[in-house]
Amino acid sequence: MQEFEHIQSLWQSHSVEVKISAEEMLDQAKKEVNAIRTKSLFNIGGMVISFVAISSLLLFFDFNSWTTAAGIGIIVLAVAIYTILLYREHRLISRNDFTEHPGDFLNKLHEYQVSRYNLYNRLYWFYAIAVSLGFVLYFYEILGQMDTWLQIVFSVFTVFWMVFCATVLRTSFMKKEKERVDLLIEKFERISKQLKDQE
Amino acid sequence: MDQKDILFKQIFDANSKKIFHLCYGYTGDSDSANDLLQETFLKVWQNLDKFRQKSMISTWIYRIAVNTCLTYLRSEKRQAKDELTDNIIETRVEEFSEKNEQVALLYKSISKLEENDRLIITMVLDELPYHEIADISGISEGNLRVKIHRIKQKLTELYNYHARI
Repeated sequence: MQEFEHIQSLWQSHSVEVKISAEEMLDQAKKEVNAIRTKSLFNIGGMVISFVAISSLLLFFDFNSWTTAAGIGIIVLAVAIYTILLYREHRLISRNDFTEHPGDFLNKLHEYQVSRYNLYNRLYWFYAIAVSLGFVLYFYEILGQMDTWLQIVFSVFTVFWMVFCATVLRTSFMKKEKERVDLLIEKFERISKQLKDQE
Repeated sequence: MDQKDILFKQIFDANSKKIFHLCYGYTGDSDSANDLLQETFLKVWQNLDKFRQKSMISTWIYRIAVNTCLTYLRSEKRQAKDELTDNIIETRVEEFSEKNEQVALLYKSISKLEENDRLIITMVLDELPYHEIADISGISEGNLRVKIHRIKQKLTELYNYHARI
């Protein structure tokens, strides 16, 4: 039969080891936020590459029909506008250090989530319609020079790709991003709530 | 390193071990304790400027840690308390060598206590003054003394029970 004093000495004899330093701890916490920032940057990077690649078609190829230039112009414009919107959202989460101003960061995170939702819903359809129109005009000249079977292959593939992006890819991306941001918001809200409780 | 970083490092170095032990006693698992330690000190970092020195800084940190622990296991996303602690303690018991079996039994016994009791007893085991525990847990010192007496008895019973099995 053991007494409480024995239990206490047992507890005190068991030394625990803290596996993390103060610097590592802050770095690790920052990494979670940086993951979202990096993803957002990759997104913007991808759009910029598309912009450059599509614009270069006008520089390096000589097209005969005005429809091709108009098509490329519309696609480039849609990509540019979408990239600017993505950049505006990126700034929402990149300008604030959550370890310094957690309240501000949480507000920006909420704003980011709403803005992101709009971008991948209502605004996405404007983007998809503009890009589709651009492709129709672009293909008017380009496909006209190809065999019928190639015309069918390109048309079907383009329609399939647009539909795939608008449905499967878009919803899966939105779902993943929402989960990621929700987790961060939940964490910061829990932290803020507990501190309010203590005040 | 700016002033705040230096101050935080000092606070972390001075308190992290005790807070980790508190979290370890609460969860019975070093990984979860590590998560709780990080969440606690993240809150400390964020609110360092707001600390008004009405109480000792260690008391303030303990209070944050206690709230963090209580919210942690109550979160819907976590596994049920008993399932979590049982699984972890069982695994840990296998990992421990024979000479540390008593320590494993102690953590197992603590895990059988109520959530609040677990936190109070870990502070008692760490020899925190009663008035400080009362301040952290929001219980009057008189009530706390009665409560601690009851928890001590319960823990001793649980420990002896598990030791006999």
